[in-house]
Amino acid sequence: MLQILIYGAVSSAIYAMLAAGFTLIFGVARILNLAHGSFYALGAYAAYVLTSVLNFPLFIAAPLAVLFVALFGVVMERFLVRPLRSSQLAVLMITLAVSLAVEQALFIIFGSEYRNVPSFVAEKLTIGGVDIGGQRLLALVMGVLVLLLLWLFIQRTRLGAAILAVSQDPEAAQYMGIPTNRIFSIVMAISAGTAALAGVLVSPFLTVQPTMGLLPMVKAFAIVIVGGLGSIPGSIIASLILGYSETIVAYLISTSWTELVSLVAVVITLMIRPSGILGRRAAF
Amino acid sequence: MKRISWIDIAGGIVVVAILALAPVFAASNYLTGVLTVCVIYGIWASSWDFMSGLTGRENFGHSLFIGAGAYTAGFMATIWFTNPWYSIPASIVVAVTFSLIVGFPTLRLRGPYFALAMLSASAILQRLCLIFWEYTGGEEGLYGLDPMMRSPLHYYWFVLAILVVTVIILTLLARSHWGLLLRAIRGDEATCQAAGINVTFYKIAALAISAAFAGLGGALYAHYQLQVSPPLFSVVTSITVIIMCYVGGIGSIYGAAIAAILLTLLTEMLRGFGEYRLWIYTLTLILILFFLPNGMVAPFWRRLTERFR
Repeated sequence: MLQILIYGAVSSAIYAMLAAGFTLIFGVARILNLAHGSFYALGAYAAYVLTSVLNFPLFIAAPLAVLFVALFGVVMERFLVRPLRSSQLAVLMITLAVSLAVEQALFIIFGSEYRNVPSFVAEKLTIGGVDIGGQRLLALVMGVLVLLLLWLFIQRTRLGAAILAVSQDPEAAQYMGIPTNRIFSIVMAISAGTAALAGVLVSPFLTVQPTMGLLPMVKAFAIVIVGGLGSIPGSIIASLILGYSETIVAYLISTSWTELVSLVAVVITLMIRPSGILGRRAAF
Repeated sequence: MKRISWIDIAGGIVVVAILALAPVFAASNYLTGVLTVCVIYGIWASSWDFMSGLTGRENFGHSLFIGAGAYTAGFMATIWFTNPWYSIPASIVVAVTFSLIVGFPTLRLRGPYFALAMLSASAILQRLCLIFWEYTGGEEGLYGLDPMMRSPLHYYWFVLAILVVTVIILTLLARSHWGLLLRAIRGDEATCQAAGINVTFYKIAALAISAAFAGLGGALYAHYQLQVSPPLFSVVTSITVIIMCYVGGIGSIYGAAIAAILLTLLTEMLRGFGEYRLWIYTLTLILILFFLPNGMVAPFWRRLTERFR
């Protein structure tokens, strides 16, 4: 029972980090970013290269990896997405093309075999009789911390207020003197950075391979639909629901059935409350 | 409605004639095989274009219907050992059923729900295929399907005939009152609804028609490859089809079919690049998105024949 509680919390935290970034960039810039999963994969690979190839210590490698991916996201938004923003289909196609290009590039450079990243924390902890790897616990703590910081940033700072304003009405925000395009870049950096951080944190205990981004991204879609497109609190609640239901299903039935959970959750949400748990037109 | 001009019909006949005769003159089994795949991609692309090109609802999981059709053919052949011809109606029924399951909850809604739901559904079905490997054969897939016809050339002609019929049916539908409604939905959904048009019904029906042809194409593919495997469900399959429609010119149907044939030939030619192949392909796509946002085939044909209309 306690095991379900802890492991469910860990996967919820990781899903929440992915989904929050995805929903943020949609809520603010109306960009449906299908390359979100490749940020996650790139984060994990950057951590692998920095630690295992260049022998950087972990606590330096992790922020470097996150910075690198955030920069990648900003460049993608500026040069590939922004010129095509007038057409929704073009944006979907270009982000998808980027995700395919990243996946193929990873295949060409690293091959399809699994890569290992050393753990940040090696020792195992025992909480109430449940063994849990320190790395998983770190992922949980970092996830909660990052989401808390993100919430404080958006609710309490001037820049956060600007982001909120753009998400509610980009044109009005522009008239008020908010540099909308710069806000898009900042939000893209945050979104890519959180996805990359999730990738870095899971890299020691999950397999690092070129296609690793796809399934978490599909889960992030599901969470965002269940929680309401554009709502960060909604996606956190939905991450908890999905993370725990998957863990419970894995314990009670079998791990094979966990993939179905998100599909069923999406179908039920779209049938009874299509806007999601906390979805509104405005973002937050 | 605008009449179909004679130059379009003439162009169509010339293209079909070239396609039908190319393997006879080249007399190579390799070319026949490649062209068969090209033509099947043509069926998939034109079926995507009918739903998504006309209504503007991008279907990012067309591989769901393709895979469903192909696996239906696979199950029929390996479990019930039925005559290969029964795969055709069965795969259509299964693909349409899937389209209704996904379409009903998602197409009622505006926004990107449909695209996301289709993408997730196809990705999850691919996972399920791997998880329930006892029934689906896992990574290996299902083997030992029977070909529908002995001669590869005859099968190629059969598939080509189906492509021609598909394009004709979908073009006629697209030019009918029905297609006009679908285009109107693309333009302004709220106004259509206000005018008393049952928008949801038309979108779901369009998706079901699209799925029927995609499933049919899936079954034809299965009986050509004589095996089915999970990559059929993959996102890459859907993307390949969408790229073809984009290059063909969204909403033109014939453009999608021709672009599918050209791009499949291009991928065949790029085979020499080995692992760089998909990379070159996606880079080409990015360039096309930037410089030819309206696609290539249909706009090119329109400009070429402008003087004869």
